[in-house]
Amino acid sequence: MASLRRTDILSLIHLRSDGRRPNEIRHMTCHLGALPSTNCGSALPTSGCSGSALVSMGLTQVLCVVKGPCDVGRRSEELPDRATLEVIVRTTPFSPPGDRRVANPTTDRRLIEQSHLLQTALSASILLHLYPKSKITVTVMVLADDGGRLEAAINAATLALMDAGIPLKDMVCACSAGRWSAGGVDEIVVDLNRREIQAATGMSGGGGGTSDTIYLPVATMPQRGNVVLAQCESRLSGGAEAFGEVLDVAMKGCQMVMEIMAAAVRERGAGVWKAKEGKADVMLVE
Amino acid sequence: MAISPTEAHYIIESSLHDFRIDGRSRLEHRPYSISTKSNNSTSSSTAVSSSLILSNGSSRIHLPGSTTDILCSVKADLVRPSPNKPNEGVVEVSVDSSLAGGLDIVKNSNAGAQKRQLRERESTITSLLQRLVVPHAVNYKALVISPGKYVWRLCVDIVVLRCDGCVLDACAMAMREGLRSTLLPRVSAVVRSDDKDGFASQGGGSSNNDLIVEGDIRKALPPSGAEECPLVVTLSILSAPQEERIRHFCIVDARTEEEVCASSRVCVSVDPNGMVCGVHTLGGGGIVDEAMNEEFGVEGFGISSSMPMNMLSEVVNTAGGAAKNLYQLLDSEKFAGDSKAEDDGSGYGYLLQNQLIIQ
Repeated sequence: MASLRRTDILSLIHLRSDGRRPNEIRHMTCHLGALPSTNCGSALPTSGCSGSALVSMGLTQVLCVVKGPCDVGRRSEELPDRATLEVIVRTTPFSPPGDRRVANPTTDRRLIEQSHLLQTALSASILLHLYPKSKITVTVMVLADDGGRLEAAINAATLALMDAGIPLKDMVCACSAGRWSAGGVDEIVVDLNRREIQAATGMSGGGGGTSDTIYLPVATMPQRGNVVLAQCESRLSGGAEAFGEVLDVAMKGCQMVMEIMAAAVRERGAGVWKAKEGKADVMLVE
Repeated sequence: MAISPTEAHYIIESSLHDFRIDGRSRLEHRPYSISTKSNNSTSSSTAVSSSLILSNGSSRIHLPGSTTDILCSVKADLVRPSPNKPNEGVVEVSVDSSLAGGLDIVKNSNAGAQKRQLRERESTITSLLQRLVVPHAVNYKALVISPGKYVWRLCVDIVVLRCDGCVLDACAMAMREGLRSTLLPRVSAVVRSDDKDGFASQGGGSSNNDLIVEGDIRKALPPSGAEECPLVVTLSILSAPQEERIRHFCIVDARTEEEVCASSRVCVSVDPNGMVCGVHTLGGGGIVDEAMNEEFGVEGFGISSSMPMNMLSEVVNTAGGAAKNLYQLLDSEKFAGDSKAEDDGSGYGYLLQNQLIIQ
């Protein structure tokens, strides 16, 4: 059993388990309008969908659908000065590797927590005061989960909101960073996958109080330099400087994510503009 | 979905004259397109590469204009078979239509009731799929690796993102294509000499050494029998007065508006050889007929929620024919170079087919 495993070779040349360099994010693709929008008043009985986006970061794939702004169904939810933002995060039974349990979005604590985090992150950016007494519903469906569900959900929600034409202060971009010490060398990496998250959170969970492992999902508004979300649950021996270092790396990751998202938005915008001018690429479906 | 008597009259009358609201004839399907792992470059611009990479197989059924959009994932794992069926694999089906929202759910009811209705709908589709499709979906004997110890369990999860009528048909299509695109790695059991002592000697716990997994993806195969997986054709039976008597006739692949007008619906599952695998009749929702009949002064529009007895065999025959067309449609969709569909003269959905998509 003395043979080298693939991961050993990768770690020898300072690459991560999936072959990335420490400062590389996963391959990210964005698709705006993955589900074409339907008007609320159309003949179709499907619930109205104003915008949608499909984001995949590595093997994590998330579909987000935005509905609204529209009428608040219940009077008690209505706010007099701004819109109500409702966020639902759902998983599909096939999203997690292995585990077949379907989490109920109304009772599962992790999903409730994530939808709450998503809601606070998004309401920092949406100009909710423009739509008093109305409701915007953001539904996120996790199609495949390979770590970084929250980050992908935030990115997808931003793109879906842009697709729906809801005014935002800035794009909310999310990316994670982590740090662990492997073989005595501290390593800070960006955009962790599931295996790396387990490595970064599992070790600190066992009561090792002084361990330097940390997993930090961060959401920023990159063009303003604001951090809207940073969630860290591990005890750091390095203090604030250690945290700052990781946060810096995560914010750089967010910058990279923003470039990809902005490119996707531009591409979509160009398509819509062409269609408006009547020069769209028309395809005959056969 | 509520529909006014005038609309219902229009839909039924136009179907009677073999020209439905979207230009199809009575026994014509809409041009469904499929994207699976092997070909995710189907014609439509909206077809994202939808292969769910963490699953063993996946498919997406999609209509132009995205009125129907269904994802299906097939995940396989090894389980211990149930004691009363040691020589059969397991196929589990679940349907999630939460994102599709209230399809025909009454808007005014409160959230709890809506959720309950949604759950009921999902379980109806699941149980119908389980009865009509699952028993014939795969060769269960071929899913066994080691009798009594290891069998494949295929978990088929269907997510309905949107659906415009005939949910069951579209779900069955998604399931069939998902199963066909599934790749199971070749796993063989190691037969030990002490195996005859029974597995009490192994302490119940499965040791890691009794399976050999072939890691090469090129040697992975779809589950045997997946090609024979049946499809479901739902016929909606409409009734209208013609020449002093009530005439019943059926349409396939009804849209939601047409479904509402149907006096009853018959789901027939047909396998690729044309064999009928199951028939299920659903009492139609029916429309409020009195109001309509009063309005038009004629009797016989969407009268009862039952149908004449002698009609059932005719309906099943029609379904067989429609299923044959559907298999052809799906196959021609799979091999885009195949020009079979165009040779058929009328073509399928010639109005819908020429629908323009703006990129």
